[in-house]
Parts: sequence; structure tokens; C-alpha cells
Amino acid sequence: MKLTTKQLTLCAVLTALALALSYVENFLPLSLAVPLPGVKLGLANIVTVFALYALGAGQAFLILIARCTLGALFAGNLNALLFSLFGGLSAMAVMALLSRSKHLSLYGVSIGGAAAHNCGQIAAAMLTLGNTAPLYYLPLLLGVSLFTGALTGFAAGLLFRALEHTSLRKA
Amino acid sequence: MPMKQSPALRPKPADALVVLAVILLACAMVAAVWGGGRGLTATVSVNGQVTETVDLSRLSDPVVRELSANGYTLHVRLFSGGAEVVDSTCPNQDCVHTGHITQAGQSIVCLPARISVTLSGGAENGVDAVLG
Amino acid sequence: MKRFLAAVFCMALFCSLTGCKSTGESSAEFYAMDTTMNVTAYGTGAKSAVSETQAEVDRLEALLSRTRSDSEVSAINSGAADAPVAVSIETAGLLNAAWSYSHTTNGAFDITIAPVVSAWGFTTDHYQVPTQPALDALLNAVDYTGVLVEGISSSSARVTLRKGQAVDLGGIAKGYASDCVEAILSENGVERAMASLGGNIYVRGTKPDGSAWRVGVQDPDRSGGFVGVLSLSDAFAVTSGGYQRYFEQDGKRYHHIIDPATGYPAESGLTSVTIVADGNKTETPNTPGNGTMCDAFSTAMFVMGEEKAAEFWRSGAYNFQMVLVTEDGRVLVTDGLADKFEQEDGSGYAYETISRTPS
Repeated sequence: MKLTTKQLTLCAVLTALALALSYVENFLPLSLAVPLPGVKLGLANIVTVFALYALGAGQAFLILIARCTLGALFAGNLNALLFSLFGGLSAMAVMALLSRSKHLSLYGVSIGGAAAHNCGQIAAAMLTLGNTAPLYYLPLLLGVSLFTGALTGFAAGLLFRALEHTSLRKA
Repeated sequence: MPMKQSPALRPKPADALVVLAVILLACAMVAAVWGGGRGLTATVSVNGQVTETVDLSRLSDPVVRELSANGYTLHVRLFSGGAEVVDSTCPNQDCVHTGHITQAGQSIVCLPARISVTLSGGAENGVDAVLG
Repeated sequence: MKRFLAAVFCMALFCSLTGCKSTGESSAEFYAMDTTMNVTAYGTGAKSAVSETQAEVDRLEALLSRTRSDSEVSAINSGAADAPVAVSIETAGLLNAAWSYSHTTNGAFDITIAPVVSAWGFTTDHYQVPTQPALDALLNAVDYTGVLVEGISSSSARVTLRKGQAVDLGGIAKGYASDCVEAILSENGVERAMASLGGNIYVRGTKPDGSAWRVGVQDPDRSGGFVGVLSLSDAFAVTSGGYQRYFEQDGKRYHHIIDPATGYPAESGLTSVTIVADGNKTETPNTPGNGTMCDAFSTAMFVMGEEKAAEFWRSGAYNFQMVLVTEDGRVLVTDGLADKFEQEDGSGYAYETISRTPS
């Protein structure tokens, strides 16, 4: 995939943004309100969904891989890579599919993405533990994803609105 | 550089379909995973060696296993929620006195027979260990 | 060439991740000290820690078991009443600790109870009620002050017993083993682990997901049921209860926790005692620590009963918390543990807190 310099720069900025959002997320522990392991706001999905619409699936994928790898590197945790990749890729695949539909808004796409993200992470947990115990959490996590998905959809919507009059939207 | 696509920024009716799909998936998972047993496994050891492993969640009805070792015979009742020793020919009956075990990490031990039944797996919202 | 170097660099970077902490879980389940034991550890040192633990428990059993003829305890029991018996510094240290626990509880915990425990058949396969004359004779030998440990500082430790005495370390062997397990986990750099040595629990750090370890306290009257769940991290916990080992004869139940003063199963109004203490701060391997203390005190408090146990706790001589379950249907939790104890709804018990100042 050939990227123009402008596209490459934008990818880099979005990757950094996603990393920053992942980091900031730790200071807003959703686990205090919802006592489930691995529950989080999933703010990095804002970047994924934005990139999906703005740059297309190909570059969104690149950003996702870069952000997961660097995130795991910074955390010094190989296991984190497995979880974020499974979660992120599932989210992206589902959102790429849903975004093709003219009947869905950003909210529908984001909620679908959040749900898929949780499914991916549970799958990673099952692989790590070697049993199906993590599945017990999935129903509750899916319920939470309705809210976190709506939240990230709202936040992404703000981002789109903010950039409406910029060169991103112009030819 | 134009955006590949422009998303609709206000919620649309069809979004409800996505929400419904997620809810249905959650319900399906509840039925599949919460209802159908707690995933407990019973491990039987004789003389320190594992002789068999039984997936308790697959048991619709309790089964009674007869275990003999070192001159003693026990009858162990295995059911979807756990296990218990119903009777034993050992002199002390500690194993029978232990009663039901229902949590991962718990075990029933018959010392004279050197037979033990240990539970593992099961719902994570239980306990991680049980004090002796 | 540049692409190749870039690819190599990426690979190297990626490989460096594998050297970093992974939540590798390693666990083992084994049979030792006449009970089932399991250890689960997380991290890069987990695998070696778990296998070392198994070897260590086997070593301790060989050293301390009263029923193994080649153990140091057997050597003490067969010879120390006649002449000093040489023992390892480790055994001497453990005996010293046992002595101080006996002393501080005024003999409620007493390792010289051994002959009486044997008379009840708890060390053999045949439980029985000893005759009163037999018990009276054996009770004469029950006196922890008769145990003399010398020579630890000169590295040639010796143990002497009074005539007719014998010691049984079964009441603290698992607790001591848990102290040794903690040391092994430290040496291997393991930060998260859980060990259950026949019901003696040691938890290190928190679970991989960051939450505290949940440890269930059994309901003595309802098999499979709990009175509550403790949320612990970096802690030892040990429970002693009559329900753990008993036999019935002529309609009466006799359990295995003998009161050294009477020679009979303790009837103190308690059905179980759980002692909780922090993980050891000093990490000298092979020395008795809080694990040993919890084991000894769980027996002692059970014998002492509710009032004396509360008084002992309040004295602050030792730093621990406890959960007492009484015969009259109450569960008492010391105030330092109350916020870590989750009551079990529907257990039918009345829950109370024991506070520092008596009400």
C-alpha cells in the first residue's frame, strides 16, 4: 500500500492519539463501577472508527497494528499484545462491515465495534488460560459494551464534526 | 484529501438492530455458559497418581463411582455441582465426614486408601481457594 | 537493504517483548503431609518456583513427620528423653518458635500433646476414646516447658525432652511449609501466586487481573457452604475446626483438636477459628514466620475459646486478625479484617465485629 506523505503523517498522528487514549483510559477505571476483569472504556476505538471512515480499512489496519505493538512494547507485556490485537482486529472487522451499511449511524457501528472488541478479548483470555472460564464474563461485558460503544461513537462524532471544515473533508 | 466515507453522526433507527443483536448474543452466552453447569471438573487420584478426570458439567444425573485402593473401598457420588463420598470401608470415615465439596480447590481425601477427589475449574465468581 | 534492516530491527524489537513480563501461569497439584496441596504462580519465575515448592514440601515432610522413622522428629521422640539429640538448625528454630507460641498462649498450643493425640488414635487409622487412667498418666507428660533446645548459636543444636514426652509438629508443619514456600517464591521473583497446603493458604500479590484473591471460610455445620469469603493479598490464612477431623462413638462426637489441659477434644464453644496475618517482611529462608504463627494460633485460639482469644488478640502481642465461628451461631470478625470479609447471605449466622476496645 502506497501512502502519500500526508497520509503517512496522519496515520502517525492517529497512532499516537490512540496510544495516548489507551494510556489515559487507565486513569478512568471503569472497573470501579463495573467489577469485571478487563472492562474498560475502549477509547482507542475512537481512532479506529475515525480512521476507518477517513482513511479506509487498509490504513486503519496499519494504525491498529502499530498502536497495539507499541502499546505492548511500552507496557513491557507480551500478553497485552495478544489481548489488544484480538480485541482491536475483531472490532475493526465488525466496524468495517457495519460501516458499509447506509442504514447505520456512527453509534450503531461503534456499539458493534465495542461488542466485537470484548468478544476478541475473551477469545484471547480463553487462549491464554486454556479453558472456557472467561466466557462467564462475556454476557456482562457485552451489556457494558452497549454503553462504551455509544460513548466512543459520541466522541468520534465530535471529532468528525470538529474536522468538518478542514482539509480532511475537502478534495 | 477527501474522507473515504462520511458517517451519519446522528443515531438512526437501524442502530437499534445492532443493540438488539448484542443483547441477543449476550443472552445466548448466558444460556450456553451460565445455565449449563459450572464447568467443574473432578480429578480422582490414587496413590498420588491421577486415575481419572470427570467433567461434572456434563453430568445430567449424579453418578456413583466405586473406588478401591490399598484394601479400602469408597463410593464417590459425582454430580454437576460437586462431589461427596457416600460411604467408605476405611476406619476413620474422615472422607465421609468431609461432606459435599462444591468449589474448585476443595478436595476429599481418604488417607488409608490414599484416594483423593479434587475439584477444579468452575465459575470464576466463586472463590480461588478454600481454607482447610 | 534498508527494508531488510527495518524488518530485522522490527523482529528484534518484537523479540525483546518476549523477555519482558508475561502472565505465564504455572501450577502443580500434589499429595504431601497426608493431604492435597496445590500451588499456582505467575510470571517468568513461576515454573521453577512451582517445581522447587514441591521438592521443598517433600523435604520438610521427610524432616518433620512423626510417622517417618528416619525424620528428625522421630529421632527426637525416640531418644531425646534419655539424652540430647542432635538436630538441624532448621528443626531447632521451628521447635523454638513452637515453644514461644506455647508459652504466649499459656499452653493452649502445646507440641508435647503428642502422646495424648496418639492415644486417641489420630495418628493411626483407628480412632478410639482412651480410658481416663490412661489419659491421666499421659497428661503428666504434656508440658512444653520440658522441651529444651540448645546450641543454635553454636550451630550444633540439640533437643532434650523430659521422660515420657514426645513432640508432634503436625500442628505447625503446614504453616512452616507455607513460610518456606513464600521464600521460594521470593527467590524466584514471583509476584503473584496462591498456595493451598492442605487448606493452609498463602496468597502473594494479587491475581493477574489485579483483584484480591478470594478465600472461602467454610461453614462448620454445612458441608460445601461458607460463612464468608476473605479478599486477601500478601497474606497467610489458616483455619482450625473440629469439623475437619472427628469420629463418633456412642452418639458423641470427638474431634482432633485436643485441649492440652484436659486431654479431651477442646470444648470451648467454637466450631472454627481462622487466623489471618500479613506475608513475611523478612525473607530469610527456612525460618518460621507468619505462616507458622497462623497455624499455631488457629489451634490455640480454638482451645482458648472466644473470650480468651479476643483478649489475646487485643493484647497486641502478635499482629494478626481472626474469624471465629461459635457454637451458638455467630461469626465474629476482628475489626482489622472486617472490610475484607464478605458475609455469606443466607448462611443463618449472626455476624459481629470484635473491636480493639471491649464493648
